Amino acid sequence: MKELINLTINDQAYEVAVAPNQTLVDVLRYQLELTGTKKGCELGDCGSCTVIMDGKPVNSCLVLAMQAVGKDIKTIEGLETEQGLHPVQKAFVEKQGVQCGFCTSGMILSAKSLLDKNGDPTEHEIRKALSGNLCRCTGYQKIIESVQAASKGVSK
Amino acid sequence: MKGNIIGKRIPRIDSVPKATGTAEYTVDLKLPGMIYGKILRSPLPHARIKSLDVSAAEALPGVCAVITAADVPMGKFSFFQWLADKTIFSSDKVRYVGDEVAAVAAIDADTAEKAIELIQVDYDPLPAVFETEEAMTADAPLIHDQESNIGFKVERHFGDPDNAFESCDFVVEGCYKTDRVAHCCLEVSNCVASWTPEGRLSIWTNAQAPHTQRQEVARILEIPLQDVRIINSHMGGGFGSKLVMDMKLPIAAVLSKKTGRPVKIQNTRAEEFSTAKTRYGYTMYVKTGAKKDGTLQARTVRVIADNGAYHDKGPATLNFSSMMFATLYNIPNIHYEGMVVYTNKQMSTAFRGFGNPQLTFACEVQLDELAEKIGMDPVEIRRINANTPGQKLQCGAVVPTCGLRECIEVAAQNIAWKEKYNRKDKLRGVGVANMVHTAAGGRYYGYNATDSFIKVADDGTVSIVTPGLEMGQGVHTVVAMIVAEELGLDMKSVKVLSNDTDLTPYDLGSWGSRATFVVGNAALATAREARVVIIETAAKMLDTKPEFIDLENGMAVARGPGMPEKSVSMGKLAAYAINNMKAPISVKGQWADDIPEDWDIKTEFVKNVRSFAFATQTCEVEIDKDTGEVKVLKFVAAHETGTTMNEMLAEGQIEGAVMQGIGFTLMESMTLDNGRVVNDGFLDYKLPTFGEQPEIDVQLIETGDPHGPYGAKGIGEAGLVPTAAALANAIYNASGIRVTELPITREFMLNALREK
Repeated sequence: MKELINLTINDQAYEVAVAPNQTLVDVLRYQLELTGTKKGCELGDCGSCTVIMDGKPVNSCLVLAMQAVGKDIKTIEGLETEQGLHPVQKAFVEKQGVQCGFCTSGMILSAKSLLDKNGDPTEHEIRKALSGNLCRCTGYQKIIESVQAASKGVSK
Repeated sequence: MKGNIIGKRIPRIDSVPKATGTAEYTVDLKLPGMIYGKILRSPLPHARIKSLDVSAAEALPGVCAVITAADVPMGKFSFFQWLADKTIFSSDKVRYVGDEVAAVAAIDADTAEKAIELIQVDYDPLPAVFETEEAMTADAPLIHDQESNIGFKVERHFGDPDNAFESCDFVVEGCYKTDRVAHCCLEVSNCVASWTPEGRLSIWTNAQAPHTQRQEVARILEIPLQDVRIINSHMGGGFGSKLVMDMKLPIAAVLSKKTGRPVKIQNTRAEEFSTAKTRYGYTMYVKTGAKKDGTLQARTVRVIADNGAYHDKGPATLNFSSMMFATLYNIPNIHYEGMVVYTNKQMSTAFRGFGNPQLTFACEVQLDELAEKIGMDPVEIRRINANTPGQKLQCGAVVPTCGLRECIEVAAQNIAWKEKYNRKDKLRGVGVANMVHTAAGGRYYGYNATDSFIKVADDGTVSIVTPGLEMGQGVHTVVAMIVAEELGLDMKSVKVLSNDTDLTPYDLGSWGSRATFVVGNAALATAREARVVIIETAAKMLDTKPEFIDLENGMAVARGPGMPEKSVSMGKLAAYAINNMKAPISVKGQWADDIPEDWDIKTEFVKNVRSFAFATQTCEVEIDKDTGEVKVLKFVAAHETGTTMNEMLAEGQIEGAVMQGIGFTLMESMTLDNGRVVNDGFLDYKLPTFGEQPEIDVQLIETGDPHGPYGAKGIGEAGLVPTAAALANAIYNASGIRVTELPITREFMLNALREK
């Protein structure tokens, strides 16, 4: 029933046995113990489980693990480097785009994905790019400010 | 106040772990040998259980245990035990869609799910009732074995409203309704239960009040309190939903006991929507009278609160909203009548504001109706009725500090009230609403106090053990800031230890805007105690007098007349205390609210609140005549903070609360079909997103508080209390449509615009 597959996550190769109906988020969280990726709804509605797959933000609860074979997957655990926090992470810390933190991984990855393509987005572009990510704590204002701060940080 | 730390925009101490994905939540927890529990819930809103057969579930490979009412203690439980009405599992009848009937534990979640489907339950459906006023009629089906579905009543009376209305120049009456809305914490309710070989139960869960939940677990399982330990992790939101123990805690505990393995139970999002409780829906009959100069003379209200199928925080919610009803303005003649009424729906519970957002919606909308009748500007009627510092109110409450007039001024100015009010163009308008809220929790437990402990380590760091429950609001950061401020440290040198009932002092938890006030005061007392000991130690070490020592930048510095400046690091000082003085630096501090000893909550309910915070919100809206969409252009939220501990945290609390208020007003609603929640996912239950988020201009008004730490007031809930009324009033100003029922959906607006 289960099949061995190879996944590339944060530039590391993993070999995992997965069932055909197993989602990427479950493999990340339960088999690879990369629990920084959160599960908020399992239906693709909340964006908490956002990861970057081949440069695009995806809801990892809607991706089957087998569909991720051969793709380049980036999770929240893969952003920090030896140089320290990624500029988006740094901005979320400094501008307090974080409250309870449960949506934060997904927010940061959606924001990173936007800024990788568009280093100086308008406020409207930020709202649009992050519109698939729900937050119940912050009222979004400080998340927008965080992404704006990061965009200035990125373009410098 | 601006200290070295207090009053600054300090980043949260938990933001790096949260931004890097390393912060652990209960839902991330996996213990060795852990198995997975699942609850079988009633599919019917009201039915007798005729028979229950678990044999097929038990026979399924991978199933470790199946439990029903026969396997658990069946004493009735409620948060207020004198209202106990719920057992762990239903044995005779179910009372809402979602009521617990049985549970399984299996080697994985899929097997547990399959096993649940194999349990055969034969139900005999009973007539169900979903609306409170229908449930109050003589022929309504009775949900519990009681004479009526009215579960609790409270009345407050001051002055003589009946006579006062007679002498009023203007009187307005109306009925207002608010809906039941879901907290929508992004981390679902979940727990892991495990027993030690010695028979001690540990439960890891996302709880807002671990110490009281510990008592609740012991009570319902009929085991000694000392055998229960509750452990929290980082928590993905609370908002009131996680104050009272969820039944999954005792269920996981019994499954774990039976299997000898740790058991995890976690809601699905659909289960969360259907069973994780809601805000109390209020139906409010309000009457307000004033003289022609606008001064309020009398106000009465009859609140009918939707309890759902079982009791939870109803009495607290009704009592609390009665108090805010009596203190927002100084009205000489008041009558408040409140009741909770059972319906065949999921339970209601606390939700940010304890009934005050509901009541403030009704009262502040009606105040606009009254102002219109008098011919008065809505800002003006609020200004002339606003309380002032030091005022003693007719109901007995004293308002030591009050910044309401300042709030009104800045909120009106920043929305450009004079230019925008009554402009009547393009369906655009502005609205205003005031509010009062507790700034210090409540005293209805009979005490409002807590402790904390501090130790200074020989590495120069300082650890504080605090019961401050962090659910995302930032109390751990506030506690760390207080310690850093008092001991002259940077934020990195302070560690906050919390969230295990074996470790932390007893505390009532994070609710009622109390954490900064109560836990913060205890942290301040502890830090000041530590400061004394540190300075005495430094004086010995530096051979000087304590009065010449100051603490700054992680050092104790001695400066005195005719002496050379000398200093020693906190680490060396701690080592000196340990090695040379044989007295490691560790202290305890406490804060206790000075509740009057002769206080009787029944007759003097107004003394329930130690401190009040006032606020004014204004907003501008534009209504789309083709779609009915109410576009919120801007919000000004002017809130009294006493002293702002950390602007960034305070703004974050208020911005988030305003957005919850916008959801409560314009979007959120539970749709039921024969008692079943139909919109049980984020696709159908509309939560505000980036698209609905307006500019929110937060204004923090510092008035000081005689009892708060550094003069701070709690501000956790206030941000959504006046939001609905401000919006509804703006909608009236824009369209002439007076809205008295929430949510104000696009469909409602479109129909109302067409009928106009």
